[in-house]
Amino acid sequence: MSNFEMIFFWISLVIYSLATGGYIYSFVFKNPRFMPKMTILILIGFLTHTIAICARYQAQGHLPWSGDYESAMMGGWFIIAGTLIVGWRNKALQALATASVPLVVIMMGFGVMRNPVLTPMAASLKNYWLYIHVYFAWLAFGAYTLAMAAGVLYLMKRKSSKSGVVNPSYERFPSLDRLDELIFRYVVFGFITDTIMIAAGAIWAKDLWGSYWSWDPVETWSLISWLSYGICIHLRITFGWRNERLAWLAIAALSTVIISFFGVTFVVDSSIHTFQVR
Amino acid sequence: MYSKFMKFLSSLRFTLLLISLLGVMFLAGLWIPQRSLLTQAMYNQWKHNSPSLVAFFEALGFTSIYASPLMLILWCLFFINLALVMWQRIPLIKKRIALPEGQPGNPESAPGYPFHATYHLPAGMDGTTILSLLRKRGFAVIGDSNGFCGVKNRFSPIAFGLFHISFFLILLGGMISVYTRFTGLIDLAEGESFQGETVRYNASPQMPKIGPPPRVSFTVKSILPTLTSGVPTGLKVRMVDGRGVEHEADVNRPYKTDNSSFIVSTVGPAPLFVVQDRSGKEIDGAYMKLNVMGGKEDVFSLAGYQFRATFYPDYYLKNGAPASHSPEFKNPVFMITVERQGKAVTTGTVTKGGSLGFDDYQLMLKELPYWVRFSVFKERGLFIIYAGFALASLAVVWRFLFYRREVVGIVREEEGESLLVVAGRSEFYKSLTEDEFTAMFNKLLDTDGRTDT
Repeated sequence: MSNFEMIFFWISLVIYSLATGGYIYSFVFKNPRFMPKMTILILIGFLTHTIAICARYQAQGHLPWSGDYESAMMGGWFIIAGTLIVGWRNKALQALATASVPLVVIMMGFGVMRNPVLTPMAASLKNYWLYIHVYFAWLAFGAYTLAMAAGVLYLMKRKSSKSGVVNPSYERFPSLDRLDELIFRYVVFGFITDTIMIAAGAIWAKDLWGSYWSWDPVETWSLISWLSYGICIHLRITFGWRNERLAWLAIAALSTVIISFFGVTFVVDSSIHTFQVR
Repeated sequence: MYSKFMKFLSSLRFTLLLISLLGVMFLAGLWIPQRSLLTQAMYNQWKHNSPSLVAFFEALGFTSIYASPLMLILWCLFFINLALVMWQRIPLIKKRIALPEGQPGNPESAPGYPFHATYHLPAGMDGTTILSLLRKRGFAVIGDSNGFCGVKNRFSPIAFGLFHISFFLILLGGMISVYTRFTGLIDLAEGESFQGETVRYNASPQMPKIGPPPRVSFTVKSILPTLTSGVPTGLKVRMVDGRGVEHEADVNRPYKTDNSSFIVSTVGPAPLFVVQDRSGKEIDGAYMKLNVMGGKEDVFSLAGYQFRATFYPDYYLKNGAPASHSPEFKNPVFMITVERQGKAVTTGTVTKGGSLGFDDYQLMLKELPYWVRFSVFKERGLFIIYAGFALASLAVVWRFLFYRREVVGIVREEEGESLLVVAGRSEFYKSLTEDEFTAMFNKLLDTDGRTDT
């Protein structure tokens, strides 16, 4: 990690942590006026986050694509970008940051504790399919995270409206119906990009390992994750699963994605997947 | 009974059950150590430590769970179910893509439309203009200003079928690939030729059930491993085929010929060691493809002696003991222990051009080329698999981004003004549909003159 990168990385992490604290404050003290300020704070954090990525690119000559630290860094960037984009298009959706930013804080914190050393681009990563595979992987992760965030907002708002205690912070969220449809929309977007990610990864794997599918732990988890969201879509379209059930499903299904990105290489070292440079 | 069984077999509930069971099997495959992911030594160790557990898993085929009988049964049921579900869905898809027949319904009272609105038509705009604007936006419009219906992306349900057909393509390609698959490993040093002889592969290659093994002919001209800060950043292998055409392979860039891929993976030294007597006469000598990277020890024999070799690519002495700064080939040195009949004769280092004396002989390291390991795969049906991937990706985009939108409307005169009354709906969404149609009609009419909803 270069000094320049380290400074901006930690500034971003601190800003995102402050924003997380700000959202908690808004809910606990029922002070919704605080929330738009948090969006500005996240935007500043996003800028410093982008500078940290540029600094790493400048120091090692390639974009951060591999290893837990780089995955967390880029993954966090995509999630924050997605959160800001949807919040910019629809102000009521700025509240999605309530759930997505804490996840980014945890991810980046985990990443920096793993392997932040600067590494040259390993030969196994030098392939155009890498860009397609990883880009769509992060789009999928970003979309699934937003689905989870919309699920969290849905459950919070639902609980608040059921209890009859009005929390003005929740009034800033979209209506329950909209949140319900947004969960599905983000899941669908994630499923599309996930499908492309798996297809691109399989084509790349053929040239790298000689087989488009090796039942490697990371591959298997990605398939489990894809199937989970496939089930989620079927349950929604065919069996009409909506509202609380869909929200819980979107939250639970994200765990499969987190496991395939970070959990497998954390627990298993037999993976041939080059999330870690060897 | 039979019809009940068939009904269950073709139900979506059964689909979900099968997907869930497949998911459970995949999870089990992550938990139960798999033969393909373990070395034979590790597997034997596990078997030794837990004999009854391993025997139980082996009986079920769970140590190769992805090819186990239970997994194959689940996959068979999955594809049968998929075929039946698709067959059942064909009439439904046909119905869904057909344009509505008869007079379109009244937008004010039509059921199932979450979006309802009435707009004042701007001056110079009439019903015909509205229909033409809707057509420009991709709606297939039937009817006229006295009652019209417009459908956008009506063929989208076909994508459902295409997405599921892609599974069959992947299955077909996968089966062809399994039956035509050849897998082997071969180590070739610089200057060495290969004519496709199966006996030259390391251990026993996996022969294809259908078709021949790779028919190739090439000579390895040069091997150039590149490491930067200890990270392997390239492994360029230049080859010349039987027709004299030059090829270059690298990690991620295999040499492809005859439906085969020659993937370069491991590299190592292939030194030319020569044993000379005191007069300088060569007694014995050979190129040795030594598997000594990463600190491994390898053994070779010359002139009745055994030589245990350890390799230091970037040699230096650390507290008097040999060590390597990095895996980069900057200062390659072999540490050799010479043995005869199991007894060590001498130990010492040898550099390129240098020698190690023992008994009445000396071991010379004359040349230090490299060898490279090729993972060789031959299979057919890949283009069918890739077509399946492409179809799946396109179909899922088509189905979920270009889903069906439908509007019904009427243009009527009221107090000398033209009013456009519309209702709209889409697949999958209700609340978001309202936003979408509101934005669309505002843009279409270039006005916010919506009178009521």
